[in-house]
Amino acid sequence: MTDLTLSVRAKNAPLLSALTIHRILMALALLVLLGYFTVYVGYAQNLIAFPFDYDQGEGFELVDTILFSRGEFPYKNTDLYPFYSSNYPPLFHVIAAPFVWIFGEAYWYGRLLGFIGTLITALAIGCAVRRAGGNTWIAAASGFAFLASNTVYHIGPLFRQHMTMVMFETLAVVILCGVNEIEDKRERRCVMLAGLAMILAAGYTKQLAIATAVGVFAFLFIRQPRRAVLYGIGFTLVGGAIFVWINLATEGQWWLQTIAANVNEFIPDQTFGLYRLWFGLHGFLIIPAALLVIYELYFARLSIYAFWFVAAVANAALSGKWGAGDSYFATAIAATCILSGIFASRVVDRMWTFPPNYLTRAGSALLKPFAPLRPALHSAALIAIPLIYLGYGRAVLHLPTDIAPYSWIADALGVQPNALNNFYDSAGRIAGGYADIGHWTTQADMDAGWQIVERIRATPGDVLSEEAAFNLLAGKTVITNPTQLLNLANNGMFDSSALIALIEAQHFGLIVLRAQFYPIDVLQAIDRNYERTEAIPMNGFEYILMQPRAVPLRNDSDS
Amino acid sequence: MQESKKGRMFSPDFTFSKRLLGLLMLISGIGAFFSILAIDLIDVGREGGIGPAQQIALAAALLTSVIGLTLIPLGDHPA
Repeated sequence: MTDLTLSVRAKNAPLLSALTIHRILMALALLVLLGYFTVYVGYAQNLIAFPFDYDQGEGFELVDTILFSRGEFPYKNTDLYPFYSSNYPPLFHVIAAPFVWIFGEAYWYGRLLGFIGTLITALAIGCAVRRAGGNTWIAAASGFAFLASNTVYHIGPLFRQHMTMVMFETLAVVILCGVNEIEDKRERRCVMLAGLAMILAAGYTKQLAIATAVGVFAFLFIRQPRRAVLYGIGFTLVGGAIFVWINLATEGQWWLQTIAANVNEFIPDQTFGLYRLWFGLHGFLIIPAALLVIYELYFARLSIYAFWFVAAVANAALSGKWGAGDSYFATAIAATCILSGIFASRVVDRMWTFPPNYLTRAGSALLKPFAPLRPALHSAALIAIPLIYLGYGRAVLHLPTDIAPYSWIADALGVQPNALNNFYDSAGRIAGGYADIGHWTTQADMDAGWQIVERIRATPGDVLSEEAAFNLLAGKTVITNPTQLLNLANNGMFDSSALIALIEAQHFGLIVLRAQFYPIDVLQAIDRNYERTEAIPMNGFEYILMQPRAVPLRNDSDS
Repeated sequence: MQESKKGRMFSPDFTFSKRLLGLLMLISGIGAFFSILAIDLIDVGREGGIGPAQQIALAAALLTSVIGLTLIPLGDHPA
């Protein structure tokens, strides 16, 4: 190379190289994602301090935890007083049970566990991307992208088992990712057992983990059928033994409550709407993830993440069930973050290889004229990768609009609150099953909650409340789990006569309704025998307080 | 490791090839497609024909078959 050539190159060199622009934009993308992380931490802190139900049904998860802390199963006969049962597997509540022994009955530890579970998931996503691609920045962006998802944000810090399931699922696939390549038999066995234990833990946290089990075993089968079958038999035996044990211990209620009663009406429009919402929010990451799956399909070996992604996206179709919702996409979002991160790492570090096959032969003929543009294309790709994360950051926009510094950002972007308590959330309700949550609670919500508790405390005898928190805080027995009664009633598995007899005898001094998720005949009985005396708004819902009617209304079916 | 030429699926060194995975996807896709159609033929009490969820499932089954078909020419490359 002559001096002349060098001087010409120096003269034509761009002011900023593509790599420098990539780094600047990547730092900006990480800053945006870190901003979402602060919103998430603020939301978690806000909910952990809130002593009442925030999302419908949280209280019943607390009741399950209390029952486990006493050594009781929550899978009970709902035809008998107090008409309570649970439809969720036990693990999350078992993990939370020691907190009941130490701190008593409270929401904060369940919410904290859910929140910590999402942090562990994000960390596992980052590790998976770092291990596969070696790019620390993109690994960090992938982990934070998971936490920035509106869906993860909504349900992460709730007293709900869903995100703990996702944590176990993610840990399972990250552990099992390279299991077939481990040469040492003993080490391979340990890794395999650890990974399968995580799947089992996910399944006994929430039934939805079945899709991850299917995806993982499909991967293991394709890679090494013999090993997959042998471990599959062991896995089925252990999982089945636990199932049979719980079923025997609960005299069949485990099967009835968690499996049979969970067969709910399927609403196709709800599924389609939620898929649209998922793509609208996460499309910037879904497209690279899908491209990596296609690449692995035709030019490399299929990874466990590809199987997991396909299984999780397909399983999200169950979000159309009555009672299901956008949370059913959380597993698919975790898989998307891993695959898109690996895709981005490969682009940045030029880690693509195309072995000869009919597609590469056809492709090379078509792409030959573009060969001189290869360096320019790589430069463009270097800049495109952080733009993907920035685009994602814009798509998932959610922040409080009245708290600095978020209010400055909201003002700069011209964003107006579109949710409760001055909160903006790009994930709006476009379909049924969408949880209207994410806003931060206020002192007024807290005061309203205590007002309801005071009403319950002042009432002698039993109180029928649609949310468990009020009864727990007032020191009253929690009676019924409304959504579970509705699940059972919809499947013809609930005999409401004993509960209706109590309502008709005006046994309850007060009834507190929120979403009115009781079976229809129970609601009709309430209407005949109780009248609305007060409505207390809390957290965006109107809690209806009802007291016995002086003269009950006539039951039309009597005539 | 590649698909064993002896075809011993349960031997310790067996792994699926792209061709075998393609065949599996082709057959299962076709099977699923006709099974979904059969729901209407067998369940004579149903009304309204093929619903939106069924249409999506049919499309997914068809897509699985097509992907399977395109994998078959990739031969012995490990899946």
